[in-house]
Amino acid sequence: MSRPPLSWFACLALLGAPQAGAQAVPEPSAKPAAASTPAAKLGSDIQARTLKNGLTVIVWPDHDIPNVALANWFRVGSRNERPGITGLSHFFEHMMFNGAKKYGPGQFDRVMEANGGANNAFTSEDVTVYLDWFPSSALPLILDLEQDRLQSLAFDPKVIESERGVVYSERRSGVDNDNGGALQEQMQATAFVAHPYQIPVIGWPSDIESWRMEDLQRYFKTYYAPNNATLVIAGDVEPARVFEQVEATLGTIPSQPAPEPVRTQEPEQQGERRIVVKRLAQSPLLQVAYHGLSANDPDAETLELLGLILTHGDSSRLHRKLVDEARVAIRVRGTTAGGFDPTLTWFYVDLPPGGDLAKTEALLTSELARVAKDGVTDAELKKARNVALATFWRKLETNDGRARELGNAATFRGDWKALLDAPTRYEKVTLDGVKALAARIFNPDHRTVGWLVPTTDSATPVRQETAR
Amino acid sequence: MPTLRPLRSALAALLFVSACATTQAPAPDSAPAQPPPAPEAPAPATPAPTAPLSTKGVTLPEATAVTLKNGVRLLLVEKHELPLVSFSAWLKGGAVTDPAGKEGLAALTAELLQKGAGSRNAQQFADAVDGVGGELEVVPGREALILNGSFQARDTALMVELLSDMLVRPRFDAKELEKARALRVSEIASAKDGDPRMLIGVYFNAFHFPSHPYGGSSVGSEASLPTIGRGDVLGWAKANLGADRLILSVVGDFDAKQLAAKLEAALGGWAPAGQPLPAVPATAPTKGRHVLLVDKPDATQTYFAIGNTGIRRTDPDRVVAELGNTVLGGRFTSLLNTELRVKTGLTYGARSSMQQALQPYTVVLTSYTQTATTGRAIDLALDVLSRYRQDGMDDAMLASAQAYVLGQFPPTLETGDQLAMKLSELAFYGLDAQDVNGFAGAVSAATRDGVRTVLQRVLPAPEDLTFVLIGKADALRDVARKYGPVTEMKISDKRFTPPTAPAR
Repeated sequence: MSRPPLSWFACLALLGAPQAGAQAVPEPSAKPAAASTPAAKLGSDIQARTLKNGLTVIVWPDHDIPNVALANWFRVGSRNERPGITGLSHFFEHMMFNGAKKYGPGQFDRVMEANGGANNAFTSEDVTVYLDWFPSSALPLILDLEQDRLQSLAFDPKVIESERGVVYSERRSGVDNDNGGALQEQMQATAFVAHPYQIPVIGWPSDIESWRMEDLQRYFKTYYAPNNATLVIAGDVEPARVFEQVEATLGTIPSQPAPEPVRTQEPEQQGERRIVVKRLAQSPLLQVAYHGLSANDPDAETLELLGLILTHGDSSRLHRKLVDEARVAIRVRGTTAGGFDPTLTWFYVDLPPGGDLAKTEALLTSELARVAKDGVTDAELKKARNVALATFWRKLETNDGRARELGNAATFRGDWKALLDAPTRYEKVTLDGVKALAARIFNPDHRTVGWLVPTTDSATPVRQETAR
Repeated sequence: MPTLRPLRSALAALLFVSACATTQAPAPDSAPAQPPPAPEAPAPATPAPTAPLSTKGVTLPEATAVTLKNGVRLLLVEKHELPLVSFSAWLKGGAVTDPAGKEGLAALTAELLQKGAGSRNAQQFADAVDGVGGELEVVPGREALILNGSFQARDTALMVELLSDMLVRPRFDAKELEKARALRVSEIASAKDGDPRMLIGVYFNAFHFPSHPYGGSSVGSEASLPTIGRGDVLGWAKANLGADRLILSVVGDFDAKQLAAKLEAALGGWAPAGQPLPAVPATAPTKGRHVLLVDKPDATQTYFAIGNTGIRRTDPDRVVAELGNTVLGGRFTSLLNTELRVKTGLTYGARSSMQQALQPYTVVLTSYTQTATTGRAIDLALDVLSRYRQDGMDDAMLASAQAYVLGQFPPTLETGDQLAMKLSELAFYGLDAQDVNGFAGAVSAATRDGVRTVLQRVLPAPEDLTFVLIGKADALRDVARKYGPVTEMKISDKRFTPPTAPAR
């Protein structure tokens, strides 16, 4: 029953697979993938429909196991927040499990588990996603549970106060053991001076303490609307029947006026920014973040492959240089995933106890400069394509993976079909493209460098993304 | 739980913790201001399943089983939906074969299998795996070394070559050994800086099994690793790496007959291990209470594990025991999580787990709470344990647990990786397909009294418990003493075992 403690992005980083990306404004449907590709063949049974109330429903039937994964994607995250209500998106994720009209406090979990289901949820800068995994026979019940909380969530002041305590404690939890999260929060707040990507997903402490009931209600009405969601159902179901069932349940929830768009764009950075965080630790940490791309940027796949060349596996450039040859680090990870707006391209380097931050940073910098100057080899590009393609297939091995990937494509690219085109897009990445993009992204004036310096005082960490 | 591919980190693998799949979140600093419910307050009514209970589970696919002349066991299953192939190679004899003082030897040897083998040095080997988008993971298990891999189907021939090179022709290069050893020591130190949930199991096993191979740290310790040299590695490999120790399952998009021929050509000439597999000595529940307090001076919360010896993987009542564990601490609405998180806000997560092995392994309750509420949280957990062990569950709770366990079972055997792992695991423990195919029937047939009887055997008696607390010792000494005789050590100690373990 997990509320995974690591950020979605961190997970992807750890898995060495940057997330495919994103688009704020849905575009007209992309050309469907040629049915000749293996991916198109695999996805030939997928059906999608937008209900009258604006809810997009996507169904991927597969009868291998008698189970279903459901993912309900809401286009709201800390990107939609502002000072005073930071952390509200994540708070809602908690509130969505705390009782509604028909199923009171605690009942959502109890009823779901008694019927063979399990659930989870996560919040990021861009989205809040609710996940249920259950036997296919329980689908009507699951839709009833989901409708209840989406239609008539309870706003009991007592529950809000106790959950405020839980969320606040969640922010403060792991004080002694999330040094990476503490550094990352400061990095993000430093790298963005204007855009709400500067806000930590869990929220600043004073805001967690001071949200008001009316903030919550307004926020819920604005963002938890069917026209602001994409529901994906993958597994042992028949699409036509699913559309009927969803129409009769979630389809009855009224739509709302579209939320105000996020207008702020981050101005161009005029020179390197540096921060130091001092924490009780044995092991120093280094993080370097460059302003990157949004998920729907035409160069998104190029950046993804470049990221794989630099950080995926023992053969990657940075592992080889920092861990294997110079032995200044014990681990190097990276993320390139974009959001609705341009995000950061991150490098996280864990040093051994007593490690030399200056030396490690210099090596990392020179490796990035080298790739910007000389590009990568043909073998490296081939490797990155293979890794991306194999990762693509592996993600589509499970109902859960399919629900996540379809939701991702639909939400961020505005069209689920973009998922099946991914292999084709990887094919189009060129050596020249990688080199040009490396030169553009790894601009020293566009980066933020963070050092975690071990000391004898402790401070408070946070996670970029918190899950229920 | 979403299935997330595990980290390629020996430490994570050892602890069965994938960084993204950790199933708990940290503890509150302050409990919500609400009085705890009276101990005799009835549990909230458990809803009855609304849909008829489905016993439609999953069936283990029929494997093509081949035993080569030299003893290698092959289990092959074709799965053509995706262009992928997965393998799970189990080598009998893991950390239990580590000599005393050389903890981590088997794990380090396993790690080196991918650091140069056959015609490739370490870098060329990594290039070969990554170059085709392959994945390779070395899991240094307690009773087996496990190599898991996933490749695109078009690279099956390369996969066979890399796997057989690792097994038959590892180089054990001295420089790579020195690097891997140093890296492992740094990783352990770094883990001690990190989330104590990653390490509490290591401390628990070391304290609970002080003179049994189950007590040694599989990945070694900062004290044991530096003593391991190339001679140790070569000696271990000669004694323990060999055809008669290997169970290899492969699942995916291939022709079984052709793949069997390829594997026979690649592995048929491999010699058996130099020594017979040592038997693992029997284990039994320990008597009395024993407390280990591990000092982490900067801790703001206490991480605790409470338990004793549990059951074997082959225990005839294992399904019923697992069902009972689900109610105790195996799901979000479990008794432990309800009491410690939902009702009292003492923690963000409380759970129980029954780990099984060739011999009875552990049954452990784990949670964490802010330092000031350590005693209250432990008392509550003990209260839940003893009441549940005494009273069992009611009919509604049983029905709910049956539905939950049945409903969550099929996704555990959804992917090629999962199936390959399961096939090898069953063969390793001498179990057959009935373990999977009979699972739903065994769950459905469970009765309240049956579960209660099994739990009274399997769950530890309140007077016989091993406790491990990781936290701020200065603030915990008096609390710890309440539970039994205390042994103290520092998290900065170079071993996972206390300098002096109390006599058992």
